[in-house]
Amino acid sequence: MDEQGVSKLERRYRRLLKVLPKWYRQDREEEMVGLFLADRSDDLDLEHGWPGWGEAAAMLGLAVRTHLAAGAALTNVPAKAMWRGEIVRALGMIGLLLGVFYAGAAITSLSVAYGNPEWAPEITWWRVLELGPIVAFAALLTGRRTLAKVAAFAPVVLAVATVGQSGHVFLWGVFQLPAIVTFLCLCLGFHREAPTPPARRLLWWGGGALLLGLLGGFATGTGLLAIALITLVVRVVAFVRGDFVLGRAVSLFALLQLAPLAFLLVGGEVLVLALPLAVLLVLCAVAPVRKPSARPRVS
Amino acid sequence: MSEQAFLVLTALAEEPLHGYAIVQAVEQLSEGRMVLRVGTLYGVLDRLVADGLAERDREEVHQGRLRRYYKLTDSGVRALQAEVARLSANVRAASAVLRGRGVQPWTSRA
Repeated sequence: MDEQGVSKLERRYRRLLKVLPKWYRQDREEEMVGLFLADRSDDLDLEHGWPGWGEAAAMLGLAVRTHLAAGAALTNVPAKAMWRGEIVRALGMIGLLLGVFYAGAAITSLSVAYGNPEWAPEITWWRVLELGPIVAFAALLTGRRTLAKVAAFAPVVLAVATVGQSGHVFLWGVFQLPAIVTFLCLCLGFHREAPTPPARRLLWWGGGALLLGLLGGFATGTGLLAIALITLVVRVVAFVRGDFVLGRAVSLFALLQLAPLAFLLVGGEVLVLALPLAVLLVLCAVAPVRKPSARPRVS
Repeated sequence: MSEQAFLVLTALAEEPLHGYAIVQAVEQLSEGRMVLRVGTLYGVLDRLVADGLAERDREEVHQGRLRRYYKLTDSGVRALQAEVARLSANVRAASAVLRGRGVQPWTSRA
């Protein structure tokens, strides 16, 4: 106990509660501390006891659900927390569409390799992991969140497994960073209380991404430029339609693609594609977004 | 409706309760199967309040600690009623199937 009569255990619980956003803590901290300490009255426990792992995990879950709020699940949520949640979910979705595109390209290049004995070493069983995003996309639209997250993890496994193999850091970075961030966005954004994304509209997007990937698989090397161009088009559409969430998410997505490029340009590595790519992506990242006049629509 | 939400609604149907009392009531109702963590309980309560099924009631200070009570709304009562009807129908259907196999639907507890 300190001079104010606050036990060490209480201070530890209050420290745990710091994972919650301030607006939530202001309303709930006292109530929660009371609940935590309700059946812990032993002096020894108050001095040496710690919050349990289960409590800490449940509190982290609540922290994710409040920091990246879904409007329908809470009352009095600040608009900022709701926008943040919407943007992370949109970024996860865009990343997943990119994954579907790559999966399409992998299908094409594997089919081509299958008929060509020279490329036989290209075909290995683990390349089936490249199809993970298609499974993840379908699972997310049908509300199977755990399956979606597991399937979205497949490209991350591939990314880590191939980090040493590919001699080209540029390509590795551009291709794998989005997969890792997508996986994180899906895990954090699509929590228990988040709404299921609108399946009908996204099916068109998913189908388009897959088709482009299937076609893009024939023309190796132009994929990056195509992605940058599409990113720019979507970014312009988001601005014209005044779609704040999509605009912000696409800006972040462009930054994600830009990071390895910048790393290379600074490192003095010159690539023919790098400059036009960088210009397009910078445009996407810095393009203005119209400030939303109201809160996100609650579904 | 999740089992957690169902049990919290059931606990609140009897009388307005504060957080700790809800945790205890849910543990009792589920015969010890479900012990709600604080993070989980507030997630469930937030959802019930946002859906208009429960609302905040009075606040009390007990041994220097804040206790906030929650109570069921009219639509919370209706939601619980609908869920009970749904679950009862499932139980009736399953019981009929078991009886058809010549098995007692209820096992007696040791």
